[in-house]
Formats: sequence, C-alpha cells, structure tokens
Amino acid sequence: MNGTPDTVEVVGFMDLAGLFRARGWTSPHRLPLAGPIDGFELLVRLDVSFDAVESLFVNHKAIGLADAVIRPGDRVALVPPGVPGPHRFCLGIWRRPSGS
Amino acid sequence: MHKIYRVNMTDLSVKVEPVPAEWAGLGGRALTSTIVAAEVPPTCHPLGPNNKLVFAPGLLSGTAASNAGRFSCGAKSPLTGGIKESSAGGTSSRIIARLGIKAIIVEGQPAGDAWYALVVGKDGVEIREETETLGLGTFATVEKINARHGEDFGVITLGPAGEHMMAISNISVKDPESKIRSFGRGGLGAVMGSKRVKLLAIDPTGGAPLALADPAKFKEANRTFTKTLADHPVSGQGLKKYGTAVLVNVINEAGGLPTKNFTTGQCDHHDQISGEQMYDNIVAREGEPSHPCSPACQIQCSQVYNDKDGKYLTSGFEYETIWALGADGMIKDLDVIAEIDNVMDDLGVDSIETPVMFAVAMEAGLLPWGDGARMLQLLREDIAKATPLGRLLGGGTGHVGRAYGLTRIPVVKNQAIPAYDPRPIKGIGVTYATTTMGADHTAGYAIATNILNVGGKVDPLKNDGQVELSRNLQIATAAVDSTGLCLFIAFPALDIPACLGSVVEMLNARYGLALTGDDVVALGKNVLKIEHAFNLAAGLGPETDRLPEFFELESIAPHDAKWDMDQKELATFWNF
Ligand code: SF4
Repeated sequence: MNGTPDTVEVVGFMDLAGLFRARGWTSPHRLPLAGPIDGFELLVRLDVSFDAVESLFVNHKAIGLADAVIRPGDRVALVPPGVPGPHRFCLGIWRRPSGS
Repeated sequence: MHKIYRVNMTDLSVKVEPVPAEWAGLGGRALTSTIVAAEVPPTCHPLGPNNKLVFAPGLLSGTAASNAGRFSCGAKSPLTGGIKESSAGGTSSRIIARLGIKAIIVEGQPAGDAWYALVVGKDGVEIREETETLGLGTFATVEKINARHGEDFGVITLGPAGEHMMAISNISVKDPESKIRSFGRGGLGAVMGSKRVKLLAIDPTGGAPLALADPAKFKEANRTFTKTLADHPVSGQGLKKYGTAVLVNVINEAGGLPTKNFTTGQCDHHDQISGEQMYDNIVAREGEPSHPCSPACQIQCSQVYNDKDGKYLTSGFEYETIWALGADGMIKDLDVIAEIDNVMDDLGVDSIETPVMFAVAMEAGLLPWGDGARMLQLLREDIAKATPLGRLLGGGTGHVGRAYGLTRIPVVKNQAIPAYDPRPIKGIGVTYATTTMGADHTAGYAIATNILNVGGKVDPLKNDGQVELSRNLQIATAAVDSTGLCLFIAFPALDIPACLGSVVEMLNARYGLALTGDDVVALGKNVLKIEHAFNLAAGLGPETDRLPEFFELESIAPHDAKWDMDQKELATFWNF
C-alpha cells in the first residue's frame, strides 16, 4: 500500500522510465483511482501500449496483466519485455509469447 | 585433428595427446568436469600438486555460431572444496578452438620460486620462465604480452591476488579491446597461482576455420539461431540496451535485492545505482551501451562506462557487481562502484565474492557502510600487497565472517551468495543450496523445453514446484555451458522453439551427429551427476546442500519472508 488511499502509485522500468520522465511525471507517478481495475485498464488510463508491458508488480508481487487487480492505495511497477534473469521464471514475470 | 595439451609443471614437460573417444563428444563444462572428475583425487588439497586446472572451449567455439565465444575453466575449488567450472568470454576461446585444441590440462607443481608463462601454439606449449609481469595487475600484464607477442595473441592471466593464492582470486582473459573478462568464481586464480603459472599466451598462428560435417546445414541453422536472438525482446533489445544492470530496480521491486548484508530486501538508493541510470550516464558521457565480450557476440550485454570527463572507467559492468557494492555494501555513487569494479578486474579478484566479503567486513566494523574510498584503499594497499589484513580479506566472505564471529554470513559451500535473496525468491534458494558449484545464480540460469509449463506459474514466495524448476534450470544450464554459447541465449531458447532446435542442428552439422533436444538435456543431466559424485567423494554431502541458518531465523522486508524449505524436499533435487 502506498499511503494515499485515492491514488495508485506507478513506476516504470527500462524505456518506460524514460517515457514517464519525458511526460514530466515524477517517480513514482500518482494516478487517481476510485475503485479496482485490471492491468489492461491501468495501461489504458496511463496511455501505455499493451505491447510495452510484459508483467506487473502489484505491491511487490509479480502478476500478469489480465490477472492483476489494482486497488486504490496500491503500488504498481510496469515491467517491459526484455528483462533478463533467472527470476523471470522464479518470480513469475514470464508471459508465454503468442504462438509458442 | 583435435588434441589435448597436457602441461606438467612438476617436471616442466608437455605432452600432446589424442582425444580419448569418450571425451570426443564433450566440450566446455562437460569436458572440464569430466576431466577433473576422472583425474583429480576428490580429497586432494586444491592448492597441492594433485589438483589440475583445465581449460576447454565449448562444442561450438571457434565456429561462426553467434555468441559461441565462451569457454570453461575447471578444477577443484579452494573456496568450496568441491568441483568448479567457470565460464568466460574474451578472445582466447576461439583461438584455442581453431588451433584444434580440445583442452589444456595444467597439472603438477614446480619446486622452487620461479614463475612461468605458457606459450600455447599449434604444435604444443612452450614453458618459459616469467619475470617481467610478476606483481603486475591484469591490464598491465595484457599490455606487456601484447607488446611481447602481438595484439592478436590471446592472454589468460592472473593478477596479484592469484599470485598470492587468495580464495577470492579469479583468472582473467583478454577481451577484444584488451580489457578483462574473467573466470570469476571459486578461487580458480589461486589454483593457477599454486602451479606458478602467471599467464598463458595463445598464439593464433596456424589456426584454421573449423571443418564442418555439413557446412550448408550449419549456415542455415546459424541463420535461424541468429534471427531468434535478434527477435527476442531480452536478447535482441533489453540486454543490448541496458545490460544486466536493469535488474537492480526489478529485483528491488520484488523485495529480493539483498541490502546491507542481507538485512532487508529493498535499497533506498536503488534508482541511483540502477541500469536505467547507468544507461543515461553512458550515453551522456559517450561510452558504449552495447559491447561484445567475445567475438561474434550478437547480444552484446556488455558496455563501456566512462567517468564524468569521458575517460574509460570500466566495462562489463554487471548487475551482480553493482548490487554487491551498491546495495549489499551501501555505496551510493555509481562512478565509485565503476572504479572499484575496474580495480577488482586489475587485481584479478571475483567481483561477487569480493564485495560480498566487504559487506560482511562492514558489518564486522572493519570499514564503514558505503565507504567506497576505504574499500579502494583496502584493495590497493592490502589485498594487492597481501598484507596480513589483505590475506584475511582475500580469504573471502566465509573467512572474514568466521574471523569476526558473525552469524549472518551469506555463503553456501563457503561461496558468497549473489544478488537475489532466496527468502522471497525461493527457486533461487533451491539453486544456491543444491548446485554443485556453491552459491551460484548462473547455475540455474537457462531453461529446458520441458519447463514450458512451469515458467510463469511458480509463486516465488511458496515452496511448491521450486525443486523441479531449479532442477530443470540447472540441467539446461549445464548443457548450454558445454556448448560454448553464452547463457543469455536461454531467453529465446525458451520462447522461440526454433532457437533451441537450431542449436541442436548446429551441433549436428558441426560433428555429423543426429542429436535431438533430449540428447542435449541428457548431456546436462550427466554433467550434474559427474559433478555431484565428485563433491560427495570430496566430503560435500547432502548436509552441505543448505542455506545458512540466518535465512531461517530472520525475515526480510517487504514480504516478511523467511527460508522454510524442508531439507528432505531439497534432497529430492537429485532424484533424476
Ligand atoms: S551476451 Fe554478454 S556475456 Fe554473453 S557473450 Fe555477449 S557480451 Fe558476453
């Protein structure tokens, strides 16, 4: 939980960090939120393309875009495709590519 | 015509031997571990005459295959007391392979105080007494050898730490820019130092492109392989742009970034030491964000990092090093971290073992948290000159922790635990506990096709499925380590079926074989079993396949997680 009950706290990694900065957003960026939404809806509200995100951390736990439920007060990190490391599997941020 | 070079340092003789039939299908880790297991008594002293140091290019080294420029070094480790294989880039692997050398075995130990250089060429090895480079750092040694023999020679050398046979010492390999890549872990530099070999100079004269059983098939398979590397977001974009340092922020977010000697899982100054910050600095200072550590590397996860004045500070600036100095040791300035990385390369010390040791020394009160200037002083004045304090520090993480009576000593089999805390990332903990190498994140880096249904489904905070995941990761890693391919091909190999298939096809086209993916997995299993049997005979039984007790006693923020894997479940790792 991020300590502000009517917003969600969002950070982006890799190119998304640059995108957020180019938009003049602070890190973390605070997005007003009244009720629960899923990961895709969050990206729509942030104006971030679905292809730019492989997985999310919600309150420090990795979860897929479709499975994520984001509530006011949460902290969310956007993980783009391209993150290396054994943790891709051990943390569960791996998303099966379409067609594989 | 493949051959084995056997260098006997006891009587300073060299033999050129044919490759035994049972070694013909092996390369890289499979070959170094097979030779060590066959020829080194498991109970021998790692620094005594019975240990052997083995260098072996991978099965695809020396070919045109992308990312096949790596090779393996093996021995009994003075740090863990078990078998060790370490992988490195640089230019030597390709040269050795193209000379038709399957392995170089350095054995025995000379009497007297003289040091030696081994000049490796197409017809054998010349053992020459070495004086000029003694006491020099690795960069100066490479310069001298370039001047002595020419820039096209490969160089494999020790820094001062290896000459002093410290357990933190590594073996350095010249890269395409005459900088340093390393056989980093397990104190292999001390083994080379114990044989009084300062360096190997590898003469490329007479080397030839390798004969291929089916050149057309090889070319086609390599084209497919190269395309899959380019197409995958990790190997084609992420690693190329940000290197592995991008993991600082990601692992911090997961609560698995061990900080201040493993007392918490998040680091307040993570943004200052992140891959994103590193990339911005590199671009602003006209360094190189993408750079190959060895010829024909297409992924190029390495980089050249300059200081504020645009002068070279370091290259190959990896996540694990940045984590160990920046989060575990609390140094906030990325430039200071880069300078320390460069000094560690020059002294020839492992850039994981050494900073993790320093974090333990900080907890012991030997230097203040985050004090990079003091760390540099200790490296240059004490470790480089092997003062009594330098020798204490040079013994590694476990050595320093025990000397100061600490209980929070992050080692497995006496080797420092790297950059992923096993409490919130349990699968990594299984790998640390069970790998034959001592705590090693790369031991479970790659993937096997049969985990396609496992990846992405394992809850990192729960124990379920972790042993199976780790086993599959370790088997596949052992197989990749035997090919001479860089482990980072693992990402497309998981996600794009044609990638793994093309690797198998390249092996078949190179050697005229009809291997299947299952054969490659079987090779990985066999490597692990050989290594495990060696460790059991060396006295590293199941009771050493465990994490330090503090992981069970101390929970870590933000997940409040402890290590609670049943030891009996861990023991099932070896059921294959
Ligand atoms: S991807 Fe990185 S580690 Fe692998 S061969 Fe290339 S530069 Fe070296």
